[in-house]
Amino acid sequence: MTMKKGILVMLVTALVFLLAACGTNGNDNNKSPGTSESASGSPDGSTSASNSPEAIPTGLKGDFEIQYFVGGYGDAWWKDVIDQFQKLNPELNIKQSAGPKINDQMKPRWIQGNPPDVVYIDGSGSNPRQMVEDDQLLDLTDWIADAKNIDGEKLLDVMIAKPDEYNGSIYNIPLVFGSYGTFYDQALFEKNGWEVPQDYESFLALSDKIKASGISPYVHAGIYPDYILGGFLYPAIISANGDDGQILKDMGDMKEGVFKSEPVMKALNQLKEITDKGYIDPGAVAINHTDSQMMFLQHKAAFIPNGLWLESEMKKDAPADFKYGFVPSITQAKGGKFVALPYTSTMAVAKKAKNPETAKAFIQFIFTKQASLSWAEKTGALMNVKVDLESSSAGDTAKNAMKYYNSDNTIVAPVVVFNADVFKVMGDATIALTMKKITPEEWADRVEKAAAKVRK
Amino acid sequence: MTHNAQRKLFIFVCLVPAFLFFCLFTIYPIVRGMYISLFDWSGSSEHMTFIGLNNFKALYEDPIVWKAIGNDYFLVVGKVIGIVLLATLFAISVTRLRIRGAAFYRLVFFIPNIISIVVIGVLWRFVYNPSIGFLNAFLSLFSDTPVKTPWLGDTGTALWSILWPSIWAGVGFYFLLLVAAILGIPASLYEAAEIDGASQATQFRRITLPLIWEQVKVSILHIVMTTLNGSFVMVLLMTEGGPDNATQVLGSYLYQMGFKQFHMGAAAALGVVILALSMLTTLVLQLLLRRDPVELS
Repeated sequence: MTMKKGILVMLVTALVFLLAACGTNGNDNNKSPGTSESASGSPDGSTSASNSPEAIPTGLKGDFEIQYFVGGYGDAWWKDVIDQFQKLNPELNIKQSAGPKINDQMKPRWIQGNPPDVVYIDGSGSNPRQMVEDDQLLDLTDWIADAKNIDGEKLLDVMIAKPDEYNGSIYNIPLVFGSYGTFYDQALFEKNGWEVPQDYESFLALSDKIKASGISPYVHAGIYPDYILGGFLYPAIISANGDDGQILKDMGDMKEGVFKSEPVMKALNQLKEITDKGYIDPGAVAINHTDSQMMFLQHKAAFIPNGLWLESEMKKDAPADFKYGFVPSITQAKGGKFVALPYTSTMAVAKKAKNPETAKAFIQFIFTKQASLSWAEKTGALMNVKVDLESSSAGDTAKNAMKYYNSDNTIVAPVVVFNADVFKVMGDATIALTMKKITPEEWADRVEKAAAKVRK
Repeated sequence: MTHNAQRKLFIFVCLVPAFLFFCLFTIYPIVRGMYISLFDWSGSSEHMTFIGLNNFKALYEDPIVWKAIGNDYFLVVGKVIGIVLLATLFAISVTRLRIRGAAFYRLVFFIPNIISIVVIGVLWRFVYNPSIGFLNAFLSLFSDTPVKTPWLGDTGTALWSILWPSIWAGVGFYFLLLVAAILGIPASLYEAAEIDGASQATQFRRITLPLIWEQVKVSILHIVMTTLNGSFVMVLLMTEGGPDNATQVLGSYLYQMGFKQFHMGAAAALGVVILALSMLTTLVLQLLLRRDPVELS
């Protein structure tokens, strides 16, 4: 009997240890707010920094934690800027929480209300709109209105894409910039004497020719409707709306009736038209992005809607003579402007940040031309700060795209992050439309219903 | 300490750790899942709102859920019939029919079981690829125009196209199980039957099947359970539930809801539905498959 008791005691102790292990974690968490008080006690570092170029944020103290996702862009740029920031603020205790799985790793901390101070939102499992809906991000509307970088330039002035608004408020600042567009192989086009389409009409005419030559004119990744939405449907909607991007914002805000409004219906009918004419590869609906990109590289399809990352993503698979060509959109009327549909990855300050002023100072510190150039060279992609890339070592696609964004003949559409439920229904319906399973009216019906359900 | 106390202590020490781990990693998650299913929770928020059974109500009204349940049972029925028939046929062939190279077939049929399910999914996606896939290339040999059927992209063929690889991948294990069962039947029974003039078919019906019935039953139950709980892997790998939810199963819809649409509460509710359906199905099957035990005497 005593032995039994002994084992019971052992088990209980084991359990206590287990709980204690969880407990110490909690204690650690409690410690940090105390230390951060001292840091937030001297917030003037950042505010004075924005007033004059010399007042670079120095002398910041306390703990400062930054969470960033490490994916295709690597972490060289991050390490570099954080290092510089540390040198300016030697007494600041910077903690980097980074990695390819960081969103999952940090999730418990966000759920417990103990988030990092500043976060770069990217990678799977992250959705800025969801973070806003979960009330996790700090409202930056007033701050961003006149925040300046360390060179004394206003942040809003140097950005290519302006911050996304959620019902009028700004919570996150776009750091990475790129856009969807329609890609083609310049070499193939030159060989066949095909003219790059400048509008929808010439796209149709050329597609007819391409189809006659035995190649599918257009392929996309049916499993991930993001591509055809970003590369075809959204730009078409904006063109049909007289080049006014407000309609996309209204769609993002799920305003009643916007999904069956005239511009949307017009764009859907364009998609229906290229479907009916058989310009979309019949296999597109069943394939993912890599499959569709392989088909494009193998010249089984002439056009593909994709993002600026395409060139670097397919670096290893592209034939030697392949020359990436890019037009922002193919759905505009004759003489109409190109519509570049941007995608961004953003930065935000946690609502429960212990050191929000340092977080803001850090954002001001990194939104400079210098950092932007360094980003382009280190990652091959574009940072959301206007900069002349011609002399840099950035890739051809990036340089080519930058020319479009700087041109008067191109509109950069607003950045809109959709509600996940509405986006899912919209994607499904779009694929169903390209399968001729539903009509544009049914598309509108489905999406309106989904939006109504979310609005409730 | 008495002998009896020692014995009890031994049993206690053997059982308790496993039981604790079982509680921690099985019972607790199930209970926790049931608890979460009563809340409106995004899965990443600090706040959970209690909404009672509203998640279940929403699922009940969601046509995709019903389609997913239908798809789940389509796969269950298809896999049970396909795998059990093929596994039995193969097992009989390499044991009773004494075909040549039995050892070779035993190895070959088992190979898909060694390959990771992810590899199988990707492999078959390539087979089905509309423009560079093996299947269309093969079919094109018999037609004048190149075949470009999007097997996974057509509502009519997509789920069937997921069924075949699932059967292909599953048959090996049950094949081995049945081979072992058949080899356990004393040869004297068959010899006696042959002397009495029983044909191979009669031998199968009167000797083999009754004596391997327990294994067949276990196979069926196991296929049912693994399909209801695991078929979403193939779905996610090959179609992500598409096109237009035509291949959605409960598991893939759970993943979609919980991790892509940020409705962890609804996802947990789906998990509860899967649990209930699995238990119900197994229970019904237990009753249906009950036969008087046949024993060697």
